[in-house]
Amino acid sequence: MGAVFTEFPWGVILILLPVTGGMLCFLWPQIAKITGLFIVFAVALLVVGLAWQIFDNGVYRHAVGGWGAPLGVDLYADGLSLLMLAITALVGIGISVYSATYFKHEQAVLFWPLWLFLLAALNALFLSADIFNIYVTFELMGLAAVALVALAGSREALGAAMRYLLAALLGSLAYLLGVALLYHGFGTVDIALLAERAEPSPIIWAALGLMGAGLLLKTALFPLHFWLPPAHASAPTPVSALLSALVVKASFYILLRLWLEIFGPLVGGAGVEQLLGLLGAAAILWGSVQALRQTRLKLLIAYSTVAQVGYLFLAFPLVAATGVSAWSAVTYLVLSHALAKAAMFMAAGNLLCFGGHDRIADLDRVVQRLPLTAGAFALAGVSIMGLPPSGGFIGKWLLLEAALMQGRWDLVVVMILGGLLAAGYIFKVLGYAFTQADVSHESKAVPASMEWAALLLAVAAILLGFLAVPVLSLVSIGDPFGIGEVRP
Amino acid sequence: MTLLTWVFDSLLGLSLLWLAWRALACPDLFKAIVLFVAFGLLMALAWVRLAAPDVALAEAAIGAGLTGALLMAALAKLHPTEAHDDFTVPPEKNVTKVWSWQWLPAVAILLVTTGLGYVVLSLPPYAAGLSTEVAANLAISGASNPVTAVLLNFRGYDTLLEIVVLLLALLGVWSLNSASLDRKAAPGIVLDTLARLLTPIFILVAAYLLWVGAHAPGGAFQAGAVLGAAGVLLLLAGWRPRAGLMALPLRLVLVTGPATFVIVAVLTLLMKGQMLEYPPTQAGVLILILETAATVSIGVTLAALFLGGDPRKNNRNKNQT
Repeated sequence: MGAVFTEFPWGVILILLPVTGGMLCFLWPQIAKITGLFIVFAVALLVVGLAWQIFDNGVYRHAVGGWGAPLGVDLYADGLSLLMLAITALVGIGISVYSATYFKHEQAVLFWPLWLFLLAALNALFLSADIFNIYVTFELMGLAAVALVALAGSREALGAAMRYLLAALLGSLAYLLGVALLYHGFGTVDIALLAERAEPSPIIWAALGLMGAGLLLKTALFPLHFWLPPAHASAPTPVSALLSALVVKASFYILLRLWLEIFGPLVGGAGVEQLLGLLGAAAILWGSVQALRQTRLKLLIAYSTVAQVGYLFLAFPLVAATGVSAWSAVTYLVLSHALAKAAMFMAAGNLLCFGGHDRIADLDRVVQRLPLTAGAFALAGVSIMGLPPSGGFIGKWLLLEAALMQGRWDLVVVMILGGLLAAGYIFKVLGYAFTQADVSHESKAVPASMEWAALLLAVAAILLGFLAVPVLSLVSIGDPFGIGEVRP
Repeated sequence: MTLLTWVFDSLLGLSLLWLAWRALACPDLFKAIVLFVAFGLLMALAWVRLAAPDVALAEAAIGAGLTGALLMAALAKLHPTEAHDDFTVPPEKNVTKVWSWQWLPAVAILLVTTGLGYVVLSLPPYAAGLSTEVAANLAISGASNPVTAVLLNFRGYDTLLEIVVLLLALLGVWSLNSASLDRKAAPGIVLDTLARLLTPIFILVAAYLLWVGAHAPGGAFQAGAVLGAAGVLLLLAGWRPRAGLMALPLRLVLVTGPATFVIVAVLTLLMKGQMLEYPPTQAGVLILILETAATVSIGVTLAALFLGGDPRKNNRNKNQT
């Protein structure tokens, strides 16, 4: 029994199953919803299986085709990949349950195959150990994400999708150019082998510049965030949740991996970390101020994503002196933001469905009329603001601690300001949710599953605050942050 | 390098730059597309000069041929009523303001180009890459053309995902638009006859490219592109498939490629323990099966992309009204 669990190729099935599901949904649209829900729950079970395997055997490695790197492509999963797969599965379930009632008719027929292919792309990306294979998963992810944004069908959505497509393609091309340079220079595209073979050279700098710029564009770090607010705000609600919670994190995950494995040890201390930290700080301030200024709820949440992405980059300058605690902070921020932001977008979608609009000033006592949704928004807001007890609190606290230890008072001030601004825009929404609007509007009933999906994800973001010890011990499997070695 | 090849290469490089610039700067979109197609053809020549005939074939078939056709189809949808030569980019209202900002990307591109140029010059002129490993394992890969061996065996997993990307692209187009299946009158006897004559030849060429891919330049992508070109030609000549074939049958053909890949992946996983690990004795047959399925799917997907919308959706709407 145990052997079946520890030897079963969970990781491979994690990729093949959603691909198969996507094709089934494409072939038989009548059963798309059932197939989609089944596949998403099955993927969650597979992640549990993979977790079991990694607990027992250590890191997961699968040489596709039996060749092994450098000739073939390797799949690889350590604690960090596992956590990303787990959060994808968890948020995926919430989004699927929400979408099952959100999308109707023609939209549902198109949504399910696109979402399952996107899920396959995310799983493949988190499992990849090969920089060219990662490029292919980016293509898969980008096309699916763009098509999902365009699903809204509105004029703004189509414009935003086009802009998103161009930004994603530009990012992919820059990344691919870096891959070509690294392959030419070191004769492999496997991350572990590149880490062994790479040495400081102009190639490394050029590859870092190209891949870094491409990935920052995809991650929407200030000032490369221009495509994000329109795309995330005009997409259908479950898609907004997907993009903000998972897709943006995927390119950040690759950036983190490449930095930890290849670039960090080579160019660490040369100012790249400081630049990333500076951009992160600018993103926090700019995104938060913009969020505060918005009058539409979904745009406010989208700008909040711009700000929260900034926090992830504050860790780069802090790692040099404080080591692992800054990376733990990043892990925590990624996970809690995924849960909280998905919940927040879903809550906004419920309000949009309820009142037919998302004008913040006309929310009109939704707390009484839609208590579950208002509760979901408030709980997600707690995590976004970084108040205890929540996943966001742990992440921001660890980051703050790292900044204090290193005496980076500038970053401390930015983090506190970011928290205050976040409180500002969350309470702005909640304030309107409690008060009566000047004009009352017609309202429509919101399906219960949509309310519960939002609430449960928000509760998960809070519960994450109590799971610091297991989560942080999980992420250290396979030593993704290289604690053993001393960084310059 | 002889003087002649040196002159040829310089002319080729300069023409590429000039065509790229003209295609970007041309306000007439029709002209721009023609320039883009010419650029693609010269680019294919450049790949030949770089001793990469597989890339050259793909560039000529997909980069120049089908992309050109897709761009033309898109242009026709932009302004269906106007003749092509009337369609130009509308003049900017505040040209001066736009112009004053154009130096910024220009400077950025110049910087990137300079940096890349420096790096490329600092590279070792020849890098073996993985060619020795590929050559060492070629005998058991099931293909004697190293490109095919890499695409279908060593890195078959990438190709599996790429084929799904192609299906996804079509799905994206279908989510935006529906296509009319009304049979169009043939635009003229010349095109009609040409389509009738050329289609069988295209199919034959596609089959040849598919077969020859095992040991010479060619393979599923090139063969699929030629097959797609045959489809485009038929669509141009006014041919439309029967509406009854547009629901499940078309979709089954479209997923043939990715589905075959997934099935082979699962079977190899069950039998050998690793995804897409072929038994060396059966590798050749497996690669041929995968390539054939991929060729059919790629060809039909490209033709469907040219059709520019979901043909089923249109049907359904018609039934409702």
